[in-house]
Amino acid sequence: MNSSCIIVSFSVLIIWLSSNVHKVLGQYSDIRCKCVCPSTEVVNGSKTERNLYIGNVPPDECNCDGVVLSQIGYDLKNKEREFCPRCECHYESRNTTTIRVVVIIIIWAVSLLVVYMLFLMCLDPLLNKKRSTYEEYRDEVTMEEPVSPVTPHQSPTPTVFNRVGQQQDKWKRQVQEQRRHIYDRHTMLN
Amino acid sequence: MLKVSSKDMEIMETDSLIKRRTSHNVKMSSTEQTIYQSVNGPEGPLKTSDSLENTESTKKRPRYVSSDDEMIDITGTGTTSEANLSQSHAGSEMDELPPGIGQYDDFHTIDWQRDIARDRMRHRYIIKKRTEGIWDFVRGIHDAWSGWLCVLLVGVAAGAVAGVIDIGTQWMKDLKEGVCPQAFWLNQEQCCWSSNDTFNEGDHCAQWYTWAELFGHFRDDAWAFIISYILYVMWSLVFAGLAVLLVRTFAPYACGSGIPEIKTILSGFIIRGYLGKWTLVIKSIGMILAVSSGLSLGKEGPLVHVSCCIGNIFSYLFPKYGKNEAKKREILSAASAAGVSVAFGAPIGGVLFSLEEVSYYFPLKTLWRSFFCALVAAFILRSINPFGNDHLVMFYMEYSRNWIFVELIPFIILGILGGLIGTIFIKGNIMWCNYRKQSLLGKYPITEVLVISLITAIISFPNIYTRMNSSDLIKLLFSQCGVADISPLCDYNRNFTNVNSRIEIAEAGAGVHRSLGLLTLALIFKLCITIFTFGIKVPTGLFIPSLVMGAIMGRMIGIGMEQLAYHYPYLWVFQGACSTGENCLSPGLYAMVGAAACLGGVTRMTVSLVVIMFELTGSVKYIVPLMAAVMASKWVGDAFGRRGIYDAHINLNGYPYMDSKEEYIYTALAADIMTPRRNESPLCVITQETMTVDDIENILKSTDHNGFPVIVSQESQYLVGFVLRKDLTLALANAKKTQEGVVGESHILFTAHSSQSSLGPPAVKLRKILDMAPITITDQTPVETVIDMFCKLGLRQVLVIHNGRLLGIITKKDVLRHIKQLGNEDPESVLFN
Repeated sequence: MNSSCIIVSFSVLIIWLSSNVHKVLGQYSDIRCKCVCPSTEVVNGSKTERNLYIGNVPPDECNCDGVVLSQIGYDLKNKEREFCPRCECHYESRNTTTIRVVVIIIIWAVSLLVVYMLFLMCLDPLLNKKRSTYEEYRDEVTMEEPVSPVTPHQSPTPTVFNRVGQQQDKWKRQVQEQRRHIYDRHTMLN
Repeated sequence: MLKVSSKDMEIMETDSLIKRRTSHNVKMSSTEQTIYQSVNGPEGPLKTSDSLENTESTKKRPRYVSSDDEMIDITGTGTTSEANLSQSHAGSEMDELPPGIGQYDDFHTIDWQRDIARDRMRHRYIIKKRTEGIWDFVRGIHDAWSGWLCVLLVGVAAGAVAGVIDIGTQWMKDLKEGVCPQAFWLNQEQCCWSSNDTFNEGDHCAQWYTWAELFGHFRDDAWAFIISYILYVMWSLVFAGLAVLLVRTFAPYACGSGIPEIKTILSGFIIRGYLGKWTLVIKSIGMILAVSSGLSLGKEGPLVHVSCCIGNIFSYLFPKYGKNEAKKREILSAASAAGVSVAFGAPIGGVLFSLEEVSYYFPLKTLWRSFFCALVAAFILRSINPFGNDHLVMFYMEYSRNWIFVELIPFIILGILGGLIGTIFIKGNIMWCNYRKQSLLGKYPITEVLVISLITAIISFPNIYTRMNSSDLIKLLFSQCGVADISPLCDYNRNFTNVNSRIEIAEAGAGVHRSLGLLTLALIFKLCITIFTFGIKVPTGLFIPSLVMGAIMGRMIGIGMEQLAYHYPYLWVFQGACSTGENCLSPGLYAMVGAAACLGGVTRMTVSLVVIMFELTGSVKYIVPLMAAVMASKWVGDAFGRRGIYDAHINLNGYPYMDSKEEYIYTALAADIMTPRRNESPLCVITQETMTVDDIENILKSTDHNGFPVIVSQESQYLVGFVLRKDLTLALANAKKTQEGVVGESHILFTAHSSQSSLGPPAVKLRKILDMAPITITDQTPVETVIDMFCKLGLRQVLVIHNGRLLGIITKKDVLRHIKQLGNEDPESVLFN
């Protein structure tokens, strides 16, 4: 049941996220042209520490003229022809939507697991204690009255709950077994 | 139950009635022979199928096929046994058997021959049915392509999961330092990706806030440092703590690297739950957390485990693979190739890794499937583009420079150093793991992880090269210094006054010298902390830390060589290449060669490692340097200890792994290592028709053997077959449930027809579960031959006979114990069945 819950919440999340894909802020656009140039001192321009120029331009304009000169043209003092060959421009694209969806899924998964872990650590021992005492009590009752009728306290959908409970118990036993191998007996994965 | 004393053995005569079918295979009494023929009878085209199988089996044998006469003989045995087994079942279909038969228990060894024979039988059944109708035809087609379909799905899923893990790690690793408040899902690089207000690469832009800035402290002073320090340590502890808690709560099997266990599983061992869905989920998330916590570990090894989990899960969609452990391992081999393919962006390297390092049984068919699976996985990851650099890995580099001959000397020196580092690491780590296993330390896994991550974080933060994520560090060390690099590592006294000049080698500045000091500290720290980190109870990979150590070492030697060439450009060894050339010795290339050497020293991989490294650099020009370094590192490593880290861990844990690459030179005979030894209690056997249900149940109760030989009678001791405990238990329970009139006195029949009168309660016929063709050897067979048979045929046990009479049994565990005993190790450290 837990896994189906997770799947449902994820799919809802993904639908919601994909519906407002285009609301990403302008600062975080998906394309860029990145130019790396030496300092303008190389061509006796005015001193600047700047090496990196980023512009949001179409791929065919991703070059020194389109990105670098528009920003520091006045520093170069008409030495553009000498400066530009030293620049390396790359057109790059990314997909922030994928990053966003994946990161949100990971946050969800981690928090769900943490919540479930806390549940297993704190609440589950209490619940199990109650359940086991209840079952013991019922066992005693049935031993006293072998032909007792169906107990009225049975839940209306016993099969689903029982099956989930059984699955969970089975899984817990397996994890217990794994823990015994690794943490107690140190037979594996040392 | 029988008692075979050594005296009896000696006086046994060759029974003239025994027909020797093959050199050391099934031997039967005359009565048996007739039964055997009657079984063969209904199977019409026996000859053709037999010959077909001969060709098939030569293809499908495990690798390292030797051409010795002996080996050919063994092939014959295997083939015949397969034929016998399939014939003994051929009349009936598998689904008549009670469910669960043919499955294995947890921590058991599989019987490759039996499983492959089962699959062949199933295959023949489908081929036969194919002509009967359109539905059967479709089923036949589906069966034929299901292998390819399965690896396609595995590849797609592995690529997608790797993409998620890469993106998650990218995001989470920067959380230790700051956050991008407007778009919290972006890391520093992505946050500043399109902002035009930074002056240099790597600067943090206005949108990115460090934790100190987020608390309103904008000056760059001691307080900012302290706040960042505290937050860095805190986040490290939180991530590491979460990882270890999740692993402990949901899937303890998700800890560690996983490759030793995958190797063991692929060699034919069952570890239930090791490749399950919880392991997959927890390992993926734990990996993200562990890498982000800044611990000295990587995600590449665990990715192999993760993709094997995916392979296992998808194989259940196809009963052909899900229900047959030997066939399932073909899918797992392909999945491990996909794992490396996505971890390093090296599809071919992945296939070779699967072949060289993890797989045990690797027929050509699996090679092609692995190839396809790796291709699909790489394609999917590439289309996700997790790093935004159009490559599959963080540290993809392109070099264009040629190397000159004299550089081979530093490359080989790097190889030697890599081998030494690998040896130190393996010895130290094994000692520490052994200590953890035996001492109280093993009782506190959570505390251990927290302490290690606290120490790591506290020591890492002050040093810029250890503070950054390991993958980023590798990228930095691999890269060449460009025109605009202002990082201290690229602080050369360059003169750019003339634009037309090229980027020449230059004298190292103060920044480079300072970096060398910091890098030395980083190398020592990484080596020490990785020894203690590998083996803690979070997902820990080993590739990245080894690559980092090697890259640091390589970069330092590279800078040394570069300065040598700068100061003495006219030395004859440089062949004038550096007097004019552009960037003649690049330290980045040395870093790459060093990384390969160090990884080679730790894992002892050769071919696959070189291929992975040149796929990383996108150039085949550097194959020779890489090969030289890796070979040197392997030689040096092997001189100090034969085992790579994975084999050392297999040995430490006592997994029943028989290395098919090793050679064994022993002089013992089969009689010396079999059970029962001389003067021991007799072997527990079952007779073919005289035992009752009660007898069998008593045997099952009083012993814990995993299988029982079936003999003709206590008097004659002639071998009939072998029956597995699990099958016997299931079949008995099934017979009691379904067959009427079965009581304790009912006879158990392993023959086709009862020779006794049909008085008394109805007999239980268990012929179907009997393996009529167990592999047998004589008591005089040398142990080397026995070991070869176990390695190459993938056996679980062999029966030892003398003149056709059963003497004893040799299991894989017996052989492993014997090997350990002769290697002066504790034979009791082999733990499982």
